[in-house]
Amino acid sequence: MTDKPPPPTPYSERPEWSDVTPLAQYEKANPLAPILYTEEYKDATGYLRAVVQSGEKSERVLQLTEHVIRLNPAHYSAWQYRYETVVALDWPLDVEMTLMDELADKFLKTYQVWHHRRLLIMCIGLSAAGRELGYIKQILAQDEKNYHTWSHRQWLLAFFNDEGLWAGELDFIDTMVNRDLRNNSAWHHRFFVVFQSGVREGEEDRERIVRRELVYVKQHISLAPNNASAWNYLRGLLDFNKLPLATITPFVKLYTAPLPAAAKDIVDVDNPPPGQGAELPCVAAVEFLADIREEERNVDEAETLWRSLADELDTIRKKYWEYRIAQARSV
Amino acid sequence: MTSFPKFSRIGHAGHVNRCLTGLPASQVEAESTRMAVGFYCLGTLDLLGALDSKTTDTDRKNFREWIWEQQTHGPNGSGFRPSPFATPDSLSEQPYGAYNGPHLVMTYTALLTLAILRDDFLRLDRKGLIKFMRSCQKEDGSFSIVPGFGESDLRTIYCAFSICHMLEDWSGIDVPRALNYIETCRSYEGGYGQNSFCEASGGPTYIALASIHLARPSSPLTAGQRSRSIHWLIHNQHSSGGFRGRTGKEADACYSFWCGASLKILDAEDLVDSNAQFIASCQFKYGGIAKTPGHDPDPYHTYLSIAALSLYPPHVPDDESTAVLQSWKFGGLDPLLNATTETVAWIRAHVPSSTTGQEPQ
Repeated sequence: MTDKPPPPTPYSERPEWSDVTPLAQYEKANPLAPILYTEEYKDATGYLRAVVQSGEKSERVLQLTEHVIRLNPAHYSAWQYRYETVVALDWPLDVEMTLMDELADKFLKTYQVWHHRRLLIMCIGLSAAGRELGYIKQILAQDEKNYHTWSHRQWLLAFFNDEGLWAGELDFIDTMVNRDLRNNSAWHHRFFVVFQSGVREGEEDRERIVRRELVYVKQHISLAPNNASAWNYLRGLLDFNKLPLATITPFVKLYTAPLPAAAKDIVDVDNPPPGQGAELPCVAAVEFLADIREEERNVDEAETLWRSLADELDTIRKKYWEYRIAQARSV
Repeated sequence: MTSFPKFSRIGHAGHVNRCLTGLPASQVEAESTRMAVGFYCLGTLDLLGALDSKTTDTDRKNFREWIWEQQTHGPNGSGFRPSPFATPDSLSEQPYGAYNGPHLVMTYTALLTLAILRDDFLRLDRKGLIKFMRSCQKEDGSFSIVPGFGESDLRTIYCAFSICHMLEDWSGIDVPRALNYIETCRSYEGGYGQNSFCEASGGPTYIALASIHLARPSSPLTAGQRSRSIHWLIHNQHSSGGFRGRTGKEADACYSFWCGASLKILDAEDLVDSNAQFIASCQFKYGGIAKTPGHDPDPYHTYLSIAALSLYPPHVPDDESTAVLQSWKFGGLDPLLNATTETVAWIRAHVPSSTTGQEPQ
């Protein structure tokens, strides 16, 4: 942490605030989990309660709410009053967004910073959205799995549903996945963009899209076979498009046994093999193959695979694999 | 023989008791959720069966009084504030204003905490509560944290559903619309995200499953949905025994509850391996439980860890000392309302609208 600057002059000593009488917090004796506020916080919130009560909406109220928010970014009433003041003053929204760029970065995990951004963007409209995608990209570069930031991106895209905004998403996802193949947030976002948000221009041929996605996810599995995010994407892709699991049996089988000594050099885009040095058998592939066998009513083979998961490959889920066996047997 | 660690009951009770007494200035962000902090602290004592030994009659009376002071009435109905943080001294007796009204999540935690403290609920404004929930519900079926403002996500739906369930009165809200919203949060992975189209995560998944089971117990999920949810949840258990909240993330003690309780709700508790060793490793040496080993403890992770242990008490080897064996004994927990069996029984007897006017037992 950087050195803190000395606290600012209390409002009670500022001539420009001498017309306001601060209002103390209502708190009777024996409070539950009381917070030992700093003097700075007590002073600032005393003035905030006073301006809220008098209904003042002014530039100095913007300064005051910013101060309180910096001390406590979860103070949702300060945020609400700030937003209403911004609207009442017709305050330049680009100025407010610039401040928010700093605050969202600083208080990344606070609901309110993202909610406030959302309200501002709804006021500005579509013209704010392109810049916003760039800002989110910048934030995600520092914290690649930040939930609020990804949620904000999903909201933004769904809210405006604009071809121009969607256009760059697959490239953006590629950047994120290439940085970390196991970033589940990026995989989830891909599923949202490709399947959950309607059909966009140039993507009307759904069979082609499904083929493209199968190639994409298989390639990524071949780069890093033990990647639950990619396997989940593959399952989701087949399920969403109502394709049988057996669609990819030859691919899955490449990952359920150790690599043959002399791996073929032929590039088969439908069935990319695991790279040299991959840890095999891959647990997710063994599970997948068992599910394929179950789907084919070949319960004996499914049971053998589940048994190997229960006893050797994935013992923390032993009870789950045994449950799968019992279930398949009972049908 | 690997010896089983001891669960530090006294230390954990001490941790939450210290937090009830006061939080340092660095915790100032908790002030807009102080009611929830109180819930996690008193809930911890309830789960440990230590409420009567660690607090006095006077303490409990004072806690109840403080919570009732947060109940507030106004144009959007009645509910509870998180704390008096936005309320000036001079306004205490007036109807709330636009910026210091009740908060939906805090109202849910206030009701649970009052039940933990065995309040008689004679002061509960039930009609006002129903009006308040109605004024929080939005067009898309979700609820904002305060009427007309603030973020909305699955948390608030769960809180509204739990309150309706406690009151045994669902007349204030549009349930089908809220269920539709939950459906838009379901992910291809089998879990639920916090908002429409968001990534599956343990907390929202518990919230979604509990909400669906509260509102529609006879037909909660299709068989396919249920098995995909079990698949995702069970794969979140890490080889350490702890649970992660999202695919590919690290284990965190709170997900032992969010994922564990989800599996319990889905009737799949028999599939879960013990997570007690992981939770034991998150114990802080001076009391309290942290999200991961080596972090600072807090009431949230302390409560949720003990709630998870109440759902999944470990099988401690019989040859361990009596002290160790006794330290891992917990009572029952209702996975839908997230409260002890006894506290839920108290809620059933005292909170429903039909109990209004009855004498406390």
